[in-house]
Amino acid sequence: MHPRLIRNFSIIAHIDHGKSTLADQLLLKTGAITERQFRDQILDDLDVERERGITVKARTVAIHHEYKGETYELNLIDTPGHVDFAYEVSRSLAACEGALLLVDAFQGVQAQTVANAYSAVNANLTIIPVVNKIDLPVTRIDEVLHEIETVLGLDPDEALRVSAKKGINIDQVLDAIVERIPHPAGQPDDPLRALVFDSKYDTYRGVVTYLRIKEGTVRKGQKIRFMKAGLVHDVLDVGQFRPEPTPCEELGPGQVGYIITGVKELGKVHIGDTVSDPNNPPAEPLPGYKKPQQMVFCGMYPIEATDFEKLREELQKLSLNDSSFSFTPETSDALGFGFRCGFLGLLHMEIIQQRLEKEQNIDLLQTAPNVTYELLLRGDKTMLLDNPQNVPDAGSIEEFREPIAKVNFIVTSDHIGAIMKLCEDRRGVYKTTEFLSPQRAQIVYELPLAEIIYDMHDKLKSVTRGYGTMDYEIIGFREADLVKLDILVKGVRVDALAMIVHRSVAERRGRAICKKLKEEISKHQFEIPLQAAIGGRVIARETISALRKNVTAKCYGGDITRKRKLLQKQKEGKKRLKQFGEVEIPQKAFLSVLEAGNDE
Amino acid sequence: MSSEILISPHDGATTPVRRPASDAGNRVPRSAYIHVPFCAHRCGYCDFTLVARRDDLVTPYLDALEQDLQTLADPQPVDTLFFGGGTPTHLDPAALRRLIELACGWFPLHDAAEFSVEANPFGLDEEKIAVLADGGVNRVSLGVQSFDLEMLRFLERDHTGDDALHVVDRVRRRIENVSLDLIFGVPGQTRELWQQTLDQAIALAPAHISTYGLTFEKGTTFWSRRLKGTIAPVPDDLERAMYGDAMDRLTAAGFVQYELSNFARPGRECRHNQTYWRQDPYFGHGPGAARYLRGKRSMNHRSVTTWIRRIQAGESPIAEIDELSPEDRAREAIYLGLRQADGVSRRELFERTGFHLDDLAAAAIREHVGAGLLSDDGESLRLTREGRFLADTVSGDFL
Repeated sequence: MHPRLIRNFSIIAHIDHGKSTLADQLLLKTGAITERQFRDQILDDLDVERERGITVKARTVAIHHEYKGETYELNLIDTPGHVDFAYEVSRSLAACEGALLLVDAFQGVQAQTVANAYSAVNANLTIIPVVNKIDLPVTRIDEVLHEIETVLGLDPDEALRVSAKKGINIDQVLDAIVERIPHPAGQPDDPLRALVFDSKYDTYRGVVTYLRIKEGTVRKGQKIRFMKAGLVHDVLDVGQFRPEPTPCEELGPGQVGYIITGVKELGKVHIGDTVSDPNNPPAEPLPGYKKPQQMVFCGMYPIEATDFEKLREELQKLSLNDSSFSFTPETSDALGFGFRCGFLGLLHMEIIQQRLEKEQNIDLLQTAPNVTYELLLRGDKTMLLDNPQNVPDAGSIEEFREPIAKVNFIVTSDHIGAIMKLCEDRRGVYKTTEFLSPQRAQIVYELPLAEIIYDMHDKLKSVTRGYGTMDYEIIGFREADLVKLDILVKGVRVDALAMIVHRSVAERRGRAICKKLKEEISKHQFEIPLQAAIGGRVIARETISALRKNVTAKCYGGDITRKRKLLQKQKEGKKRLKQFGEVEIPQKAFLSVLEAGNDE
Repeated sequence: MSSEILISPHDGATTPVRRPASDAGNRVPRSAYIHVPFCAHRCGYCDFTLVARRDDLVTPYLDALEQDLQTLADPQPVDTLFFGGGTPTHLDPAALRRLIELACGWFPLHDAAEFSVEANPFGLDEEKIAVLADGGVNRVSLGVQSFDLEMLRFLERDHTGDDALHVVDRVRRRIENVSLDLIFGVPGQTRELWQQTLDQAIALAPAHISTYGLTFEKGTTFWSRRLKGTIAPVPDDLERAMYGDAMDRLTAAGFVQYELSNFARPGRECRHNQTYWRQDPYFGHGPGAARYLRGKRSMNHRSVTTWIRRIQAGESPIAEIDELSPEDRAREAIYLGLRQADGVSRRELFERTGFHLDDLAAAAIREHVGAGLLSDDGESLRLTREGRFLADTVSGDFL
């Protein structure tokens, strides 16, 4: 297929602005799927994603559109919608020449719209603004167009008005893709250069490598080289996603599809690598991607110690399809053997945990998440710290640095004060305010990542009654007065409850955690003192009084069965408890460290 | 029952080994329970199987019960017969008479059998008492709960303290063996008030007293009021002190605490309830009733109308079957044994279940004996006084 007849594009949007629905409409209108298939969000093929209505992994599909008597091939490269997966967004965008910027006709420009639009501009893409949900009973289309102009610098006259749900003006979108987005450059006879933008492990076929051909042609049966990995393989199969994998003979310049090369290990295919022809090598590989940095860590421990190996296997399997997730074995005095796992963000963490518990049926005990810290040690050494348990002796630390994020809020004007208060309370540094319209403003703060990963999003939603949105990017590490806060339960230091906090909030946080633990740990037959301490100094204390009475009077006839089952259930529940010295601590208590922040 | 200690042929030492047990469940049932699911109204704390203001169902209930009893094929002589509720004495005299005749027809009473009926003070008049006495009832368990009007109103009981006092006299003129149920830990109840209730009960000199800590059961109005925060359980320490008062005062007055919540004059223990706690087999009929036959416990459907409908349609009224493995049965035996003053006898447990107590629960025994909650004389394991306060915690560890 001639590059002139190819268009590669993404849809970028804030969450819930209708991206998946629009994608499905495009598929439906071009005959790639049936009316019945349309009812499901077919681009999201992971259960967890469908459940949460978000896309985690990039997906791709080739559709055909008739325009002025010619058939065009439009390749839609789907992008994840959540800030945790910004890295995957940039990967997808690099494989496109244009993007549909989808904005909700009522909600207007939101934080992720801005973030994604900037990514698209930086990637030199042609942007087509699309105002979606024009069928809603209440819309603010004119204001939304104004926002598109002032915030994003796009021409509002170029914006399309559609309803993805009702299928209104979808043809205009398809035509605009052909008319406005430039066709890919590159010639079929050039030396082959194809960008590896994703990969997936298939049990039967091995690694499926997702490609965007920049120049040249890849054919079934030829030899190719992964330039970075330096490995040469035979191309066993070539195909496109329509949306089902559909084999074809070749992929030419501009086309998007997959190859299967018999590689069995996902780790051997590097995202961002360049595929070339060993017999006709190009001068240079394509510019790749930088590896995403894991910023959020937590410990995951099997409740049953015997599940340790099973957990290791499952983590390995998950990491096959998600290279942005890491795990290394660790031990805790309190929890035994487990893994320290690294994630792109909190949502990413939740998704992995859910998969392990739901799909693999492993009961997990998860410690409160923490960010990565950078420590400058005496002797000019720096170290990255992803576990509060490993904080070195205070005397050896020259500088304790924490990751800082630039956070972009979009809120209505009457909530500006609330957002500023929220940020000031969390050690934020104010940057700018910009009015998108008389009613809405964009506020930029620099905030410690640790302060936003826990509950910033929930707090934002609550102080703005659901209307505020935020997005952030990590801008580097900054020195801060940080200390390790230890928690002692009946005199025993519980390493898995240790956390790193700013000295100014240590006492308040310590008190809140002790209070929370008091609620979570049930009474024992003895008194349990709970203490928060920095070094040897106790800064907060609570006491759980001894259990004094636990006897149910009635136990008659059939009640014996009911009563016995009740007690058995309680005993079963105890399996989710971990024993520390003489005290049993429930799983929930380990996360209460997080919730304790909410009470402040 | 003789203890069988097998002699190992090799070393000659006496080594008790697990052997097929003489299964308690396989013995012939000597007890029967009949559930009578009618009340004038449902009290706020009650989650028992019953219907209020549905006296129109009494005849269909009795018809269904008659049909259901026919599945027994032959009359089954028993040593204990128990009518529980609901309020069996809510039935009018004619219905009550029919119920007794029905039950005694299918469960003929042996000499010296115990025939208990639960009753509420309200409406228990001379006529009904006569029906009971003439029908052979020789034990009445009265749902007195309290003598204090304020407590009774809170519990939504329909009688007064005076009603209770009078009805005890009235019953005893015909049926001497009377038991009183009392509830403590009622929101608003002070320790003094509870002590006074105990003393009033003692002054009546009944044969038997049961004391219950108020519990908040799912599905009751008390449960939802507690969730809403309009009522709160009394503090732990107060409830503990009240239970302690019951043990102290009743024991001092000559009652024996033969089970966690049951106190009796010597020889006046409720033999029917002991059947349950000893894991002996028993028949059970009526909505929500349980039976324990051939090692299997099964429960009837708890809905009165469903129970009736099923029997009318010739279907089984059973909604749930609880079949325990030999080990779980042994564990349940320990759990039930600990509720009783006699505790768990190692010898008896082994004879009945084929399991050794120490094989099943060495760690739990060590822990709770160490904490002073259990006493162990080498043969039997019993809750200590302190252990009784924490009976659920302790006995739960044996399940």
